[in-house]
Amino acid sequence: MAIIEVHDLTKSYAGRTVLGGVSFSVEEGEVFGILGPNGAGKTTAVECVEGLRRPDSGTVKVLGLDPRRDARALRERIGVQLQQTQLPENLKVWEALDLYASFYKAPRDWRELLDEWGLAEKRDTRFGKLSGGQKQRLFIALALVGDPKVAFLDELTTGLDPQARRATWELVKRVQASGVTTVLVSHFMDEVEELCDRVAVIDRGEVVALDTPAGLIGEGAGAQQMRFTLPAGAADPAALVAAVPGVTATAREGDRVTVTGTGDFATAVTAQLARHHVLVSDLRIDRRSLEDAFIALTGRKLDD
Amino acid sequence: MNALAKLTAVETKLLLREPGSLVSVLIPLFILVVFGSSIDATDTTLLPMSLAIAVGLVGLYLLPTTMASYRERGILRRLSTTPIRPGSLLAVQLVLQTALVLIACGLLMGVASGVLGVRLPGGLLPTLGVFLLGTAAMFAIGLLIAALAPNGRAANGIGVLLYFPMAFLAGLIQPVDQMAATVARIGEYTPLGAFRSALHQAWSGQAPDVLPLVLLAVYTLAVSALAARLFRWE
Repeated sequence: MAIIEVHDLTKSYAGRTVLGGVSFSVEEGEVFGILGPNGAGKTTAVECVEGLRRPDSGTVKVLGLDPRRDARALRERIGVQLQQTQLPENLKVWEALDLYASFYKAPRDWRELLDEWGLAEKRDTRFGKLSGGQKQRLFIALALVGDPKVAFLDELTTGLDPQARRATWELVKRVQASGVTTVLVSHFMDEVEELCDRVAVIDRGEVVALDTPAGLIGEGAGAQQMRFTLPAGAADPAALVAAVPGVTATAREGDRVTVTGTGDFATAVTAQLARHHVLVSDLRIDRRSLEDAFIALTGRKLDD
Repeated sequence: MNALAKLTAVETKLLLREPGSLVSVLIPLFILVVFGSSIDATDTTLLPMSLAIAVGLVGLYLLPTTMASYRERGILRRLSTTPIRPGSLLAVQLVLQTALVLIACGLLMGVASGVLGVRLPGGLLPTLGVFLLGTAAMFAIGLLIAALAPNGRAANGIGVLLYFPMAFLAGLIQPVDQMAATVARIGEYTPLGAFRSALHQAWSGQAPDVLPLVLLAVYTLAVSALAARLFRWE
């Protein structure tokens, strides 16, 4: 069942098109990624879904509700972590959770969240004294305190060091494990690749691809190559390799062989060679990353 | 406890933890005590002056700084993703800052009558009316600053920058009778000046002039309408 349905969303500011007809849907229980460079329109799209912005045209349904018309009812059931939000410096961790819990009709017990998110020791610490990672944990806890069906997490790990980012990823996995559908906005490839079930790639206000991370990496490939060295005196393996599904070309230069293909051909080629007792050495597979996929899709790098 | 009660409780704690609120109480108290030792019991100038300073500091400095920093930090936006309206936070702040003004003024009056032996107002009801009108005018200006300032620091700067010339023109830095006549005359038309003079008259038991009261009402309405138009939630 689709929890979020977005259809043909458009938005422009002062004649500049920010969203040019964005459509996607998010299924119950998945982690849905919205990936794109800064300024691509990711946040605007998500803010239309959250009801913070009114799209110029298009429809949005979240849990069957219209984010603008049924704002009150919807806000009981979603949890949001906004990009670049702070709390008052002097607000203590427990006070923030206690306060935000009071906004909802059926909140979670914030004391549980305090334990779950490793904030129990920081209970009486003021917001201004927390580390970046601790603040981020508090924001996730605040997004979950209303016991939401859907959580929106926007640029969760921007500004965190690599270790804190990894730790935050584990937290997102826990959110999903607890059954909350998650929409994750990010401009980090590795993050989306690690966490998301499906990804919408947004570039210049349009969805340029929508697939699983693995699907995106495989999509439009053909560029994938594997290389290996044949044992001395081995027969030409071209016929053997060509029979493997997905292989598009084989080239040989001395005892060095290059095989080009799509999908999961590399594993199949290795298996085929092994079955015929061709023991290759120096095997290299040029695996495409989501980064390569992004360049292939948009013609530019993600952090441009 | 419901959301509004909880919000009020939390915001009260934050206000008490904010050094600015203590400063808004201590500065007028300091002025009262320092100058109060050299006045007699019939004085009707010093206490209204220190009350106007307290109201001016809260309205022009503390209120806009708090509001603008809430917007700057994205707290108002964050609230609009929850079932509670961000307007509730502004309403709670207005109530609390008014309470702070009342507490500061209560303290000033207590010290003035109890310690310095200064006579309390002649006309209690007119004084209270003028006091509330003046507070409304100062808060309206504070809200306008909060609407215009891009962040908390800017609001703080604008507040301080506005406060000193306004306090000078109003005769809060130097008593009116020691000021040049033209400057004093101009001062009567400023919000803080109209407030001080109306408060002074009500205090001495005179029927207050209509002009400063009308001025205060006009300032309150016009400035708060402008602030409401210009205020941005993000």
